[in-house]
Amino acid sequence: MADLLIEGLARRFGPVAAVDDLSLHVADGEFVTLLGPSGCGKSTTLAAVAGLDQPDAGRIVVGGKTYFDGARGIYLPPEARGCGLVFQSYALWPHMTVFDNVAFPLTLRRVRAAERRRRVEEVLALVEMEAFAGRHPHMLSGGQQQRVALARTLVYQPSILLLDEPLSNLDAKLRDRARSWLAALRLRLGLTTLYVTHDQIEALSLSDRVVVMNRGRIAQLGTPRAIYEAPAEAFVADFIGTTNFLPARVLAEAAGEARLALEDGQQVSVAVPRPPGAGRAVTLAARPEQLRLAEPGEASDAHGTVVTARLRGSAYIGGRWQLGLELGGSTLRVETTTLPDDAGGDLRLWLPRDGLLLFPAAA
Amino acid sequence: MSAGTTDPAGGFAHRALAIQYGLGLLVLLLVAAPLLPILYQSLLATSLYDAGHVLTLGNFRRLLATPGFGRIVWNTLVFAALTTLLAQLIGSLAAILFSRTDLPGRRLLGELFLVPLYVSALVLSFGWYTLYGPSGYVTALWQSTLGEPFWDLYTLPGMILVAGLTQAPLAYLYSMSSAALADPTLEEAARIAGAGALRTLWRVTLPLMMPAIAYSLVMNFTIALELLSVPLVFGDPARITVMTTFLYKVGITTTNPDHGLVATGALLMLLVICGLIWLQTRLLGSTRRFVTLGGKAARPRPFRLLRWRWPLVALVMAYLLAAVLAPIAVLVLRAFTSFLSPMVPLAEVLSLDNFATLIDYPVYTGAIWNSLQISAIGGAVATLLVALIAAIVHRSAFRYRAALHYVALFPRAVPGMIAGLGFFYAFALLPDLGGLRNSIWIIALAFTMRFIPAGLGAVAPTLLQISPDLDQAARVQGADWWTATRRIVLPLLRPALVACYTVLFISFFKDYSTAIFLFSAGSEVLGTSLMNLWTEGQAGIVAALATIQIVIIAACVGAVRAVFGVKLYG
Repeated sequence: MADLLIEGLARRFGPVAAVDDLSLHVADGEFVTLLGPSGCGKSTTLAAVAGLDQPDAGRIVVGGKTYFDGARGIYLPPEARGCGLVFQSYALWPHMTVFDNVAFPLTLRRVRAAERRRRVEEVLALVEMEAFAGRHPHMLSGGQQQRVALARTLVYQPSILLLDEPLSNLDAKLRDRARSWLAALRLRLGLTTLYVTHDQIEALSLSDRVVVMNRGRIAQLGTPRAIYEAPAEAFVADFIGTTNFLPARVLAEAAGEARLALEDGQQVSVAVPRPPGAGRAVTLAARPEQLRLAEPGEASDAHGTVVTARLRGSAYIGGRWQLGLELGGSTLRVETTTLPDDAGGDLRLWLPRDGLLLFPAAA
Repeated sequence: MSAGTTDPAGGFAHRALAIQYGLGLLVLLLVAAPLLPILYQSLLATSLYDAGHVLTLGNFRRLLATPGFGRIVWNTLVFAALTTLLAQLIGSLAAILFSRTDLPGRRLLGELFLVPLYVSALVLSFGWYTLYGPSGYVTALWQSTLGEPFWDLYTLPGMILVAGLTQAPLAYLYSMSSAALADPTLEEAARIAGAGALRTLWRVTLPLMMPAIAYSLVMNFTIALELLSVPLVFGDPARITVMTTFLYKVGITTTNPDHGLVATGALLMLLVICGLIWLQTRLLGSTRRFVTLGGKAARPRPFRLLRWRWPLVALVMAYLLAAVLAPIAVLVLRAFTSFLSPMVPLAEVLSLDNFATLIDYPVYTGAIWNSLQISAIGGAVATLLVALIAAIVHRSAFRYRAALHYVALFPRAVPGMIAGLGFFYAFALLPDLGGLRNSIWIIALAFTMRFIPAGLGAVAPTLLQISPDLDQAARVQGADWWTATRRIVLPLLRPALVACYTVLFISFFKDYSTAIFLFSAGSEVLGTSLMNLWTEGQAGIVAALATIQIVIIAACVGAVRAVFGVKLYG
């Protein structure tokens, strides 16, 4: 096992910078997820670590072994790296049985037949697939194929485990099961893991740390909680979870508090660590679960602000309602357990003073 | 899990490079070897194998001053252009009819339509001659009942008719690979948007077929340019000369061949074909490089022919009978008779004499045996070569893989006769390597060079369908490029390799033009023997030999389909 160091990684495809000066350190045994929309550079980064794609510049070192160093002209071919990679497509060889698939990496390493058989059986037991050793991949379900792919990777004890959207080909129910299974397995094995996904739930639930990527750069690097609760920029807040954005202007700022005017003139107070100066255009970000409808008679106080919004639509989403509200020219999404009866009329909405985020207004 | 896993041996990086560079150079050598000597010979005052090489441009002047050369060029262009148009017209119609309508029995009819692909153009020409030639069976029948026949195949239109119908299957295949015929949903969308069947055909199907048709036109024009059989069988008796028959006469049938003239003429043809292919890639990009056919099973709503169904079936069957089946059948029948004429009762002329003569002459049995060896062994070696080229071009990080691809596809532009001529020159320049010059293996070498593109066409589509993840997975797990290719890519490619081997076997077995400059006493092949027997006027023995060729090819195709379930075309 080993740590992973990426420094100044860059990869261009024509005019597009797929990965742009990316640096990252994954500690020994740590599970780090690259999260982002398609085209953000996460898969390119993974391919660079695996050796399937040669970057233009930067350095990749795993456990002291230099995989790639643009400045020194070092580029190890994938077979010399000893990484484990689970493909999104699983890439099980259709002409080999499950056993032969898993045994192949050991054959390459000239492991003797008896030892090979023992280790293949051991790892198939680990992924609970020992009963399927004689089958061919096309006879397995998606979830089973995924386990075999993982077993084939674990069997040679890779220095680092790379997972490329391994759950994305499974249907929703199976994906949940596979995710908890993967989380349990990861705790048992403690492998240094780089995980690529566009699914925030996978990222948040599995990872020690999450790297949110946007346009080839790291938008934010932090623990799942930090990423969710304190997104560093509007992109992260927007990408992780659901976030309502309201354009506003700073009227006044005092120690740890800013007083904002929304587009329609209603005022909101929020507590922020470093409030921007008065007169600045900002974007106020609020998660649906932070907002609620005000109780009858409730007024603005030290804990929150009550504003008036207009109900534009509602949708039943199972157990609760999602309301579409218009506030200051923007649309907000809020969830409630009861449906207000006066559809089309005005509603009173409560915004907390703490926990909301301010970002500089998009140019 | 236990420790003790070592990295797989790491010294293999050089192995991949050695294979890639080695094969790249080999292919370059194979393709360039025949071409450069032709260029060289075209600039020499004397024959290449004579002593004292003097460089000159005189050959070009002499070629242009050859009496009737303008006529030859004109004939060649008219022949090739109209042959191409006729082939395309029939091919496109057949493609639409067999893949887009509810024509009864269209699958079987479509397969019968492809039969000429399996038979050498030379043999088909013999068939046409035996049936519709001046003393052909149908001609004689017509004369005895209806008077003078209205056709004469010993004319330029007659040659165009035979060549056009022979090449129609190729145009059909290219048309089938067009977007419109590969993806029925494009038409479905037009129908759902409210377009009628004919409007859909006119506004959607045909425009989508245009790129494939343009590609097909260029390829068929190239093939018509290099066609030797039809001009030789039908043009020569009427003194209608095209470039190929001109080269054949100046280079082969005279006692003292003028190689300066031959090489210059060959060079001219090469330049024209290269120009055409360049133009075609410029116009279309390289997207239609291969005939790729996805046999889509679901064709939800074919055009309905309604009351035209049965008349069209009758028309198609009449066409297939007259243009494909009858010429072959009559040639086979001719093989089993001493004389074939509608005036003589068949029972009186039935005999096995032709075959008996064949067996008596070691030259002919030797030719069959040589062809079998070249096709079976040469075809296997060529298949291996093609597989490796495909793996390098599509599945490696080889720096020059794009160049390798280009070089490997270049023989498309080299007519068989010219490839053979080039190898003949190349081996005349080289010291005789252990008798290779006079052995059958020089012929196998020329065939290999010539049919690399055909082999790639059989392998590449399948290779492109195999997910790169599969070999990349092996790479990440510690297999070098060669191990991943050998253990993962090639085994997955097996059906395509079987198809490739069969295509190459048939191509080698039926070729007649590549070997004409290369064979010598003892290294005759089927094609050259057929040509020689034909010029000697041995119609019965020609028919017997052609029958043997047809039977062997049919057995080969049948066996491959039965054992592997591989369809070669379509």
